[in-house]
Parts: sequence; C-alpha cells; structure tokens
Amino acid sequence: MRKIIFLLLAVAGGMVVAQTNVPPQNVPPHQPTVISSDSADFDLGTNRAIYRGHVLVVDPKVKMQCELLVVDLPTKGEHLQHVSAETNVVIDFMDEKGQPYHVTAALAVYAYGVVGSVTNETVTFTGKPRVESAESTILSEPLIWDRAANKFHFYNEQMYFKQNISGGGGTNGIPKLY
Amino acid sequence: MKSGILKYLVAGAVIFLAAGSDRAQTPPAGHATDFTSESYFEPPHEQQVKMRLSGAEASPLPGGLLEVKQLRVETFNTSGKSEAVVRAPLCTYAPLDGVASSAGHLELQTGDGKLHVEGDGFLWRQNESVLTISNHVVTTIAADIFSEKKSLP
Repeated sequence: MRKIIFLLLAVAGGMVVAQTNVPPQNVPPHQPTVISSDSADFDLGTNRAIYRGHVLVVDPKVKMQCELLVVDLPTKGEHLQHVSAETNVVIDFMDEKGQPYHVTAALAVYAYGVVGSVTNETVTFTGKPRVESAESTILSEPLIWDRAANKFHFYNEQMYFKQNISGGGGTNGIPKLY
Repeated sequence: MKSGILKYLVAGAVIFLAAGSDRAQTPPAGHATDFTSESYFEPPHEQQVKMRLSGAEASPLPGGLLEVKQLRVETFNTSGKSEAVVRAPLCTYAPLDGVASSAGHLELQTGDGKLHVEGDGFLWRQNESVLTISNHVVTTIAADIFSEKKSLP
C-alpha cells in the first residue's frame, strides 16, 4: 500500500511541481501540457501566474482540476519555489500498470527552500486529502510528501479496503475481500 | 527558457509596456493603415530591434485612446531572435494610462513555439505590470520545457 501511495504522490506531486519527474516509459514523448481556466493573471512584478475558475491541467501523465492555481515562477537560474492548487483539487492519473487513482483535497502546496545546507522540498495536501484506487481509500490529514527525503508522512490516516462487488475477480463469482 | 514559463507568458505583455515607454515609438497619432513601429534596445545593442508593433489600422478615439486593428507585436532579444509574438484582432490602447484592453481574442506564442496562450478579452495594466485574460484561457506548454527543468535538484 505504501508503494501505491508513493506512486500516487510521485505523480500528483510531479504535477504540482510542474513535472520535474521523469515520465513513465509507456507515455509517448512530446505530448504538451494544456492548462485551461476561466481567466488568468500574469504578473511581471511578482513573477506570479494565477489561473482562476475551472482550472484544468492535462498532460500525458495526469489530469488535475482545481479552482485556483497559483504559480510563483523563479527568476533566471533559480528553483521553482511555490505552487498551490486550491479549492476542490482533483487529481486523476494511472500508474504504469494502467491502474487509475483519484486524489482529492482542498489544497495542495509545493514548497521549496534551502536553509544552510539543508534542502526542504515538500508537497502538502490538506483539506481532507483522499486517495482512491480500485482497491482502497486512504485518508490522511495532512498528507505530506517530503520530496527532498523521498518520504511520505501520514497523519491520522484511515485506510478502507473495498470489496470487489463486480464478482468478476474470482473464478466462482464470489466477491473478493482484500 | 531558463528564466521560467512566466517569462513567456508575460512576454506579450511587455510589448504594451514597451509601447508606452519613453524609448518606444508609438503608432501615429492620426489614422494610419498598415503601419509598423519599432523600438530598439539601449546601447550597446541600439542597432537591435527590441519590439516591432504593426497593425492593419490605427484610429484615434475620444479621450486620447487609440484603436488598433489586427495588432501584431513581436519582441526580440539582443541577438535578434524572436522571443514572443502577440496577435489581437482588435485592441484599444490608452497611452496616458498605460492600459491596453480588448473584448476580443488574444493570442501569444513564444518565438520558439514552445508556449502558446490564448483567450478572449484581455487587460494589460502597464503600471502594475499585470496582464489579465478574462475568458477561455488556454495555455499549451511543450513537453520539452519541463524536460529542461529536470536539471533542477
């Protein structure tokens, strides 16, 4: 299960941080990322792009929806430091086996900073984060992915395993319990 | 490219800034057709075109406004390479306020073609350096923009 969550957050986090991860091998290259929204502000003074209303981000790996996407872009040579997706954040993706995952949260925030020789790079999901797969649902409040350490931190997590109600998973048609 | 996506997203906005700056040449005050206006970099690149603004028609409006049809603005870097092209079928520009706006379509594409932004209805506020696109905003980002970011730690 931890592996599943790892994969999930790796993809979801990769979305938030503007795809710094290497795409899976089965994804055709050169597919563009498309961001659509009702409106957008591009601020030269603060180097901030704000997408508002029915924000939809689609790329070959993942689809993300939210109501507000704020990207603080770096100046020349600097690292991307802050991205937030707010309000009704929904992320859908498939793992390398084609298994679909569905993540919801009120807020997803990517943050990067260096203090001394320590690099902090995290994606924090808050607002009732929920991860759904075909097999289970996991709740954690908050859910923090420490990208620098490549570790995931769960708080007050709750895990629910689903029944295979289709009955097609076994040879005798009996719903399979996990 | 290293300076980030916003550079390209806002590159089109720069043209309005440039159009309103002291260094830039503005379109003729009277009615004009098929006009082109260029501004240049400051020394030592004073021979290089910084911005080229063209339009099919420019007409003065009451209140010191200027209506530009088939606006096309292209920005260049100091080596003469195109950085961004902005197109708008119709635009109203207020030189004194530094505001450009339109209810119509706006299309922006970087010179390398890796980023494309379009939408309907826009407002450029020069003093605040903010470009707002009001409706149906679609940003298309080439995959290799992100691949360049993979070098980030």
